[in-house]
Amino acid sequence: MIKIEHLKKAYPNITPLQDVNTEIHDGDVISVIGPSGTGKSTLLRCINLLEKPTEGRIWVNGTEITDPKCNICKVRQKMGMVFQSFNLFGHLTVIENIMLSPVDLLRKSRQEAYDEAMRLLRMVGLAEKALNYPDELSGGQKQRIAIARTLAMDPDIILLDEPTSALDPTMVGEVQAVIRDLARTGKTMMIVTHEMNFARAICNRVFYMDEGGIYEDGTPEQVFDHPVKEKTRRFIHRLKVLELDINSKDYDFLGMAGEISTYCNRNQIPPRMASRIQLAFEELVQQALIPSLESPIIHTAIEYSQEEQATKMTVQYNGPQADLTRSGDELAQAVLKGAAAEITYNTQEDRDMANQVVLTVRS
Amino acid sequence: MRKWVALALVLMLALAAALPLPAESSAQEGIFTSLWQLNGKRIGVQVGTDYELLVEKLLPEAEISFYNSYPDLAAALETNKIDGFPGDEPVLKFMAAEDSQLAVLPEDMDPVEMACVLPRSESGRKLAEELNAWIVSAKESGEMDEIAYKWIEGPESEKTIPDYASFPAPKGTLRMVTEGAYTPMNYFRGTELVGFEIDMAARFCEAGGYGLIIEVMNFDAIVPAIQAGKADFAAASFIIEEERQESVVFSEPYIQCGTMMAVLKGAQGESESLSFWEGIRSSFNKTFLREDRWILFVNGILNTLLITALSMLFGTALGFGLFMMCRKGNRFANAVTGFATWLIKGMPMVVLLMILYYVVFGNVAISGLMVSVVGFSLTFGASVFGLLQMGVGAVDKGQYEAAYALGHSDRRTFYKIIHPQALPHILPQYKGEVVSLIQSTAIVGYIAVQDLTKMGDIVRSRTYEAFFPLIAVTIIYFLLEGLLGFLISRINVSIDPKKRSRERILKGVKIHD
Repeated sequence: MIKIEHLKKAYPNITPLQDVNTEIHDGDVISVIGPSGTGKSTLLRCINLLEKPTEGRIWVNGTEITDPKCNICKVRQKMGMVFQSFNLFGHLTVIENIMLSPVDLLRKSRQEAYDEAMRLLRMVGLAEKALNYPDELSGGQKQRIAIARTLAMDPDIILLDEPTSALDPTMVGEVQAVIRDLARTGKTMMIVTHEMNFARAICNRVFYMDEGGIYEDGTPEQVFDHPVKEKTRRFIHRLKVLELDINSKDYDFLGMAGEISTYCNRNQIPPRMASRIQLAFEELVQQALIPSLESPIIHTAIEYSQEEQATKMTVQYNGPQADLTRSGDELAQAVLKGAAAEITYNTQEDRDMANQVVLTVRS
Repeated sequence: MRKWVALALVLMLALAAALPLPAESSAQEGIFTSLWQLNGKRIGVQVGTDYELLVEKLLPEAEISFYNSYPDLAAALETNKIDGFPGDEPVLKFMAAEDSQLAVLPEDMDPVEMACVLPRSESGRKLAEELNAWIVSAKESGEMDEIAYKWIEGPESEKTIPDYASFPAPKGTLRMVTEGAYTPMNYFRGTELVGFEIDMAARFCEAGGYGLIIEVMNFDAIVPAIQAGKADFAAASFIIEEERQESVVFSEPYIQCGTMMAVLKGAQGESESLSFWEGIRSSFNKTFLREDRWILFVNGILNTLLITALSMLFGTALGFGLFMMCRKGNRFANAVTGFATWLIKGMPMVVLLMILYYVVFGNVAISGLMVSVVGFSLTFGASVFGLLQMGVGAVDKGQYEAAYALGHSDRRTFYKIIHPQALPHILPQYKGEVVSLIQSTAIVGYIAVQDLTKMGDIVRSRTYEAFFPLIAVTIIYFLLEGLLGFLISRINVSIDPKKRSRERILKGVKIHD
């Protein structure tokens, strides 16, 4: 379906894609993951030529789109794209956004296009917004409309470029539900995403991108659970485990709270558990450990397990061997106990940080 | 509503500024009775004349400032900006007769001779010989004196000129230029161009077997027009002078007269003092009704509107075309357009018009009106180009990407997606550009176009009303700007995609639930 050979994309000061070679088969649902700046979006945008490749060749359904004589408009009509920033046409109503391309490009009658558009709107649950303008909709609604607009062209391939990254956490679910349904229809899809569990649920293939190309390519089980290569392993670990290091009393508490919140969103931790994790971190680290330690060195690791519906927070700290979970005032202790289901303390002298507290947070 | 209040305020201020000034000024300054009292005083001189040298010679300590026309000089005198200005004897006498505040000092500063001006070309010299022979014979036969008497001292009823438009023209038609604002030498009576020089030129053409076409332009633009061959000769009270002889040919002089100095009359307060409304009514009468002068204004408005409308049309097309050429980032087109817009926008409009009229179209028989349209189309096109760049640049680039990704071609993307979203950004400023376009057309008098401003000047040169015609012209400009602004606002409403009706959005669709 799509064949890519020696694809290179270079900008004046950065080369996100050095050498990409792969083949994408009919019906593949591919998640593209990887650290930022490794060319995930660039790869997607090269496939429909929104970015012009510097070198290399790409075939789509047997047509070489990197050939200068290729009519890219025709190819793009069969290849939908969903953007991070929705890009609905601001001067047109929802229904016109969806009808425009089938009428103009596929020469469908307005009636036919309208009926199909209404069917798609019902599918994404937004039929009553047909005559609204995009700026009257929420982000999640806009993205669902954008997906319906893409589907109206009945594409063979759908490229989704971080479709939920620009959304409020409360709206991620509605868009993911639509994409999940889409993946079941057997259409070929490529999706750039950071949500591992979502990716695992919908895709049959994962590209981990790094070092200017597809670094590891495999099934979700293989890439997420048993990655072969070192960089993949570290990245997957980072997706799964959030590690926070504190080396001074004046550390950036709000910054860390933000990282925890991002981690919770990305792993779709239920809101109740997420707020408990925040609470436990604040009470233990900010209220109990920081005031008690003279020059604190604290390492925190947070790991969520979907199967067990629980989050393990491991906190190690320096100083004399002492269980400091009880050092805060009574209120803080009560809050900490309320937030964490289990609290255990142990100590080991030969470690850098002698003390370790393990908290288990459930929803 | 607020707009009307603002407009009313402006008008009231203008009227208030116009009326009560002269009484004060004459009270504080001395009254001049002799030319020599003016040494060290402020003297106004018309641009394009050589009175500057004369004033420097006779009144070496005088402070000289320059004005464009005699109505301007009269206005400057009445508002105490200057203490006097020199002029030709018959003209100043007419001014003094019309304007109760003016007086003419008795001294003749310099007896001068007036002559026609012709180009220094082969044909110019040939025509000069013919003209000279006629002038000499007309002087000998007494015809010239008869013309002079008729226009300078004769009764109004006898001031007629031959119907030069219907001369049979066996030897071709001559093009003459004049100022049209210099009573009694050349001026407008109603819509008709008359005066000593018009009469004389018509008689010469009739005798010589020529047809005659007369064009009117600002005085300081006449010599360049002759040099560029835009006209065959000029009769606009030019005084024979050595320096000018280097650039043009003078004919035999056709009249001799003195050079006098106009100053404020001392005791005008007693003569008549009109109430505010009576003053306005009298001014209105003189400016619009007497001699059917309103027709001049109507013609001026039509010319101004024509230039504005055509320049808008062609300028918009030009700016749009340029934008479409440069949009794809063609380096060459961009560089050329960038340079051209920089050049056009940086050049004073008068200079651009002069260059077009005398240099670019110097040898082409093209009317000043068309040259104005070309000039203003260029500047307006440059503005439209800039507006489009700004408006289209304001549309998010995601809109392009979404359209391309759906399979729309580049052209379709621009017209269907980008352009409709850019227009609402552009139109309010487009309206501003149109208003400034109307205002900037006021200078076309330099290339022989009789627009609204020029018509106002022509009427001022007859009534010597300092301000009323200016204010009237201003109000008319306001009305024109309001009218065009209103039309563009209507367009704005009709192209705003968000103001479409449900029926238009769902055109061609039957809704069944």
